[in-house]
Amino acid sequence: MKYTGQREISLSEEELRRYNRQIIMPLIGIEGQKRLKDACVFVAGLGGLGSISSMYLVAAGIGSLRIIDRDVVDTTNLNRQVIHWTDDMGKEKSVSALEKLKRLNPYCNIEAITGSIDDLESSAFIADASIIVDATDNLETRRVLNRVSLEKSIPFIYGGVDGFSGMVTTFVPHETPCFDCLFPFDIKKKGAIGVVGPTPGIIASIQVMEAIKLILGIEGTLKGRLLYFSGIDMLFREVKVEKNPECPVCSRYRAGL
Amino acid sequence: MAARDKIEVVINGVREVVPKDITIAGLIEIYNERDGGLIVEQNNRYVFPQRYGSTIVKQGDRIEFINPDFGG
Ligand SMILES: [Zn+2]
Repeated sequence: MKYTGQREISLSEEELRRYNRQIIMPLIGIEGQKRLKDACVFVAGLGGLGSISSMYLVAAGIGSLRIIDRDVVDTTNLNRQVIHWTDDMGKEKSVSALEKLKRLNPYCNIEAITGSIDDLESSAFIADASIIVDATDNLETRRVLNRVSLEKSIPFIYGGVDGFSGMVTTFVPHETPCFDCLFPFDIKKKGAIGVVGPTPGIIASIQVMEAIKLILGIEGTLKGRLLYFSGIDMLFREVKVEKNPECPVCSRYRAGL
Repeated sequence: MAARDKIEVVINGVREVVPKDITIAGLIEIYNERDGGLIVEQNNRYVFPQRYGSTIVKQGDRIEFINPDFGG
């Protein structure tokens, strides 16, 4: 990613212990752990997906995390949005999440905002991130994230859930298709959708696995592969996806405009 | 065996007999798959929506209609 090895990153004794089970893997090592510390990940949304992705990212020792959500915690969130607890009801989700994440790992520098992602489209809050992890709950906001991803050349890890099903893929600007290549259609708003907690748990965990691998430069990611999961059949399957030559969104950036 | 003007394909894991030379668009119509917002996979490859009308389904093809997930 944007890690160049030029910025001096050091790990304290306490951090070396904390991340020991990662560092002892040859694939990661101290160098890899420094890369994680050097990374800045933007998690878009703090619902079912964001609950899990923000916790795993912070626990893994990502150096900087940026989180955003516009909502407050509601009773109906609690079956799946496990970063928010019963006594958080009525609290801003960004505040509720920030409290837990700071306690989970004080070595992570976390910035939290309550607000709409649409208003941040051109802000440094997203633009400076090395990776965008999608945890939104609608198509429109994902299109905004896709534009930022293409504009600023930031990998964008899409995840979505519905009921017992979910899907995930990694968009890398100029290399893979973009979000709009895959989803060039509009859908009717469905209102509240049902979700069991493990579905976002599974999908967000895969998204974080992707983020960690991208940061560490480990191959075998979901670039050009849409992975989908059915909890009903307990099956993972994948579809190979290519750039849509007629995609009006990424074709603009392909032309270098 | 399917008749001469029919082919056998597998749609969402189920064996089906459909007209020969049918397109993806034709299949979507027959199977009345959701109003918009659909991913179509032909032999593990994503089919772009703009090609539904020109993509012919062949004997033995595996087609999946997938409803995308946009919840969070
Ligand atoms: Zn595109």
